[in-house]
Amino acid sequence: MGFEKFGRLGYVSQAKITPFVSYLEKNQIVATRCKECGTLCFPPRADCPKCRGSEIAWVPIEGKGKLVTFTEVYFAPPAFQDATPYLLGLAELGDGLRVFAPITGEVDRNDLKPGLELVLRAKRAGEGVFYQLESR
Amino acid sequence: MGRVAIVGVGHSKFGKRSDASLRELAFEAYSSALDDAELESPQIDGTVVCSATHYDKQRSPAGVVSEYLGLSPKPTFNVEAACASSAVGLRIAWSLVSSRLHDVVAVVGVQKMTELSSGEIQELMGRAGDVMWESPFGTSMPAYYAMYANAHMAKYGTTEDDMALVTVKNRKYGAKNPQAMFQKPITAEEVMNSRPVAKPLKLYDCCANADGAACLIIATSEMTKKITDKPVWVAGLGLASSPMSLAGRKGPLTSFEVTKNAARSAYEMARVRPNEVDVAEVHDSFSITEILNYEDLGFARPGRGTKLLKTNETDLGGKIPINIDGGLISKGHPVGATGASQITSLVHQLRKEAGDVQVDGAKIGLAQNIGGIGMYSAVSILKA
Repeated sequence: MGFEKFGRLGYVSQAKITPFVSYLEKNQIVATRCKECGTLCFPPRADCPKCRGSEIAWVPIEGKGKLVTFTEVYFAPPAFQDATPYLLGLAELGDGLRVFAPITGEVDRNDLKPGLELVLRAKRAGEGVFYQLESR
Repeated sequence: MGRVAIVGVGHSKFGKRSDASLRELAFEAYSSALDDAELESPQIDGTVVCSATHYDKQRSPAGVVSEYLGLSPKPTFNVEAACASSAVGLRIAWSLVSSRLHDVVAVVGVQKMTELSSGEIQELMGRAGDVMWESPFGTSMPAYYAMYANAHMAKYGTTEDDMALVTVKNRKYGAKNPQAMFQKPITAEEVMNSRPVAKPLKLYDCCANADGAACLIIATSEMTKKITDKPVWVAGLGLASSPMSLAGRKGPLTSFEVTKNAARSAYEMARVRPNEVDVAEVHDSFSITEILNYEDLGFARPGRGTKLLKTNETDLGGKIPINIDGGLISKGHPVGATGASQITSLVHQLRKEAGDVQVDGAKIGLAQNIGGIGMYSAVSILKA
């Protein structure tokens, strides 16, 4: 239990990777590094996709990113409809890592385009905790 | 491996079919496919039932479909690959028949969606993405494709007006298809003025949830000779996967790698080049998807899909007529039935039975079917 706290609405509650949520609660965004072969993963993984190793270390990531693409959602799943319209984005974080995350509503819509520099920050909302892309 | 042919096809009316249940829709398509092949159920060795079962009230629908078609105790099972379920079903049936495990197999693609409320469907669609890392932010099917659209617009200057032309073209042909959900043309202005769903996609850039079924009867070459004098041969099949998570995909998201990979396999197997295809059905779940598919299938160079569209080369009479049965945008998208529906239209074309929309001299047809948010893509090449 515990993973359901991740996001605006968590669907999955049980996962090996749940400690990620505790880091987020402490305002830290972490990736996983395979202790065997050093492969870095974000979103974090309990198991290495390269060498199948399952010994992982948690490593903080800086969070500076560049937007790859985005959308503004008007018609959403029922639990999210009240929050519409809201922004979703995909950003490149460096080291080949990418993140899919909400973009803060405070960003100017006219600035949104691939390459826009943003930063990933931890965010709390009620019981839940997640990350979002914000202006640098 | 023996050659494999499609010897019969059947198609129900697609749309809001409040008159029919899932098994009854399946029966409509199956029964018309048997008529088409001039076969009866004793000659069918088994069924591959294709549906995205999370939409069905019936759990494991293959059981009840096979029973209702009168096929028990013959083998049956379900195939699920989201929106590409019945294209994958064709691949499975091809294996069953080319291996000689069976001689004649029915692929039944079926979906009953409109019994669910719009909210229930939205809830299911919200979980179409990576349920741990992406769905918790309020994803939707259109949102993912909208992200590809924005990337394509930024890189190549594609516009919302360009995308609207896909809907206008497909609805024009939908008006000629008596099985389509929408049989009325639409103007670019109506598309542009429709309400936003996930920017830049608007209501009429999107296909609609629907009920419906389509059926393909697949046979070995020996049986094909006995059954029909107008077989349509399965010449090439390509299937590929992509990371389900958007974060796991590489590049600028201006194309679907998964479709390029599936197309490469299918072209290679069929020994066909893109410019040899006479008529195609591509997955227009959203207007932008059709434009990306032109490029990913090699009908246009990257960024030039809109040019192909604007010069009417994908219209009837053009270089490569595409979705001239109306596409998903007109027919509606009963998820599990869509792949078999595309193949059914191609079979009519290759047998010269497509009436008003017949492509002169069509000998090679290609169908392309994407599953979900692009984690699967299937390309099927057929020859007369």
